[in-house]
Amino acid sequence: MLLEVRLYSGLEIYVENVKYGKPFQVELPSGGTGRQLLDKLNIPQEQVFSILVNGIHRDRDDQMEDGDRVALFPPVGGG
Amino acid sequence: MSRFIRLDMSTKKVSIGETPEKYLALGGRALTSQFVLDEVPATSHPLGVKNKLIFAPGLLSGTNAPSSGRLSVGAKSPLTGGIKESNAGGVTSQKLASLGIKAIVVEGKEDKGSYILRVTADNAELIPADDLAGKGTYELTALLKERYSEKAGVICIGPAGEMKMLSAGITNNDSEGNSSRYAGRGGLGAVMGSKGLKAIVVECDKPFDAPVQDKERFKVAAKKFAKILMDHPVTGEGLPKFGTNVLMNIINEAGTLPVRNFSTGRFDGASEVSGEKLAEVAIERGGKATHACHPGCVMRCSNAYPMPDGKVCSPIEYETAWCFGPNLDISDLDVVAKLNYICNDVGLDTIEAGCTLGVLMEAGVLPFGDGEAAIKALEEVGQGTALGRIIAAGSELAGRVYGVTRVPAVKGQGIPAYDPRSCKGNGVTYATTPMGADHTAGYAVTANILKVGGYVDPNKKDGQIELSRNLQVATAAVDATGLCLFVAFAVLDNEEGLPTVVEMLNAQYGLELTIDDVTALGQQILNNEREFNANAGFTKADDRLPEFFYEEELEPHKTKFELKDELDEVLKF
Ligand code: SF4
Repeated sequence: MLLEVRLYSGLEIYVENVKYGKPFQVELPSGGTGRQLLDKLNIPQEQVFSILVNGIHRDRDDQMEDGDRVALFPPVGGG
Repeated sequence: MSRFIRLDMSTKKVSIGETPEKYLALGGRALTSQFVLDEVPATSHPLGVKNKLIFAPGLLSGTNAPSSGRLSVGAKSPLTGGIKESNAGGVTSQKLASLGIKAIVVEGKEDKGSYILRVTADNAELIPADDLAGKGTYELTALLKERYSEKAGVICIGPAGEMKMLSAGITNNDSEGNSSRYAGRGGLGAVMGSKGLKAIVVECDKPFDAPVQDKERFKVAAKKFAKILMDHPVTGEGLPKFGTNVLMNIINEAGTLPVRNFSTGRFDGASEVSGEKLAEVAIERGGKATHACHPGCVMRCSNAYPMPDGKVCSPIEYETAWCFGPNLDISDLDVVAKLNYICNDVGLDTIEAGCTLGVLMEAGVLPFGDGEAAIKALEEVGQGTALGRIIAAGSELAGRVYGVTRVPAVKGQGIPAYDPRSCKGNGVTYATTPMGADHTAGYAVTANILKVGGYVDPNKKDGQIELSRNLQVATAAVDATGLCLFVAFAVLDNEEGLPTVVEMLNAQYGLELTIDDVTALGQQILNNEREFNANAGFTKADDRLPEFFYEEELEPHKTKFELKDELDEVLKF
């Protein structure tokens, strides 16, 4: 399955030629999880705090679906 | 001795007395709200002779408790007609506290002249200053620092306040002298303007000279608190690195970014105006991605953004980037910075200005997405033209003038950067806080979006009432301490956080407060504020969101706001 992935707030440094906020496609076996996605992208698990799938917080072991919009964040806050 | 300064602008008399017994244990918002309830008739005209403006440093201000230099400003608000506490960073809170000043009260009225109040270690005098009338805050601050002391802190208003515009703010400067740390919300600048007071100059070169009873005990607690802040990933890393505008992308991804005057929840250009972009451009142009608004802040969420015209906008906060960016369909950070700078200089609340421009774009007065048109329109505020006055009168009034129904405001105050339909905890806060729509009053974005202090699904109504209530009580108490609200990120996640705050207060004042006392203080503040508003004529009908949030679906989650009668339970203790 193909995922539409966006990296933010410093996570983009782990993937070559990727800029924060610019979507790129990642192929995972169907039923793949957030954890598998991070492994595939070589992003250390502990660097990622929030995984938003189609705008909803998901646990890293939740399965994703083809075409999902996935956004990854370290811990962020402001106000 | 703790001093209480009263300035009567009708008689031009300044009196410096001891702090009344009743107010000795209060500070910040606890003091301003108690005082306004005690001394301002709720039915008085906000710009009239009976309204009183009070400045009070927080309880811990002027000590070396980290990030404790916040100033509270209170009065009856001309924008909402209710009670207002507006909270600012900057350097003057620490200076006032270091001079042993509990509060400065400005009362009476002056219609003709322009004056400044000069506060020194042992005196406070009123000085006529007609030569300063009409000056923008940047020039004014530089002039006053040059005239009196480079180390002075300057609290002032711009032309918007002098023209008594409803969303004029009161600013004070940061360590570099930028007059950009605003008590922005609720139009308190107009109250100051109605009294003929252009500025307060606080001459003091010591930021950490407030009396502390048990210095050793305080030092241990303050050090521990600094470590708690440094150890939390948000307050220790995230905020220093990208500032508050790091929120732009996550709020957008979560689908709760208000776009084009709250008509949808996602914006394609979000990352172009985000904290990541800001840090990149600021560093490239020789600015700063990390900056403290006052000495002793360890979270340093501020920044300094050099603009193409050579001026520096410091800081650009998330709410401002949102209201002049996605809210107006603008994705150019230089335009955002320029609009921000104009507000800072003319003395206007950025959030209200952005909400109002959104409403005017909705009305077709300006086109959405047209940065140049927005800049030109905002520049009219300083010129005092009819359009300028409408822009500075706030979103609700602009909506009425142009017959717009999608007006994002509660109690007359514009709704900030989180759409209440997909961040429902904040919706509860907007509806019920006595302040009018205010994100800081009970920042449920924490548990709704950021997963700090637990998780409550932002798209469902379950748990939001309790979440907002607890946050509103805690926030009221934090606003009394002078701590920056951003300490909450660490405090909510660390069970030693609140006890350490209490320990600092006890060490400073020789008290034996417990955590329960802090909760009681927060509730007391809110009760006072609600009592004032009730006396001013507010009812539960005022504790609701605008109709369109209940009627129009927000993309991408297809949500509406559905909490109504439950809202009446939020602030019942
Ligand atoms: S965290 Fe930001 S707003 Fe708060 S005191 Fe520090 S610099 Fe000022």
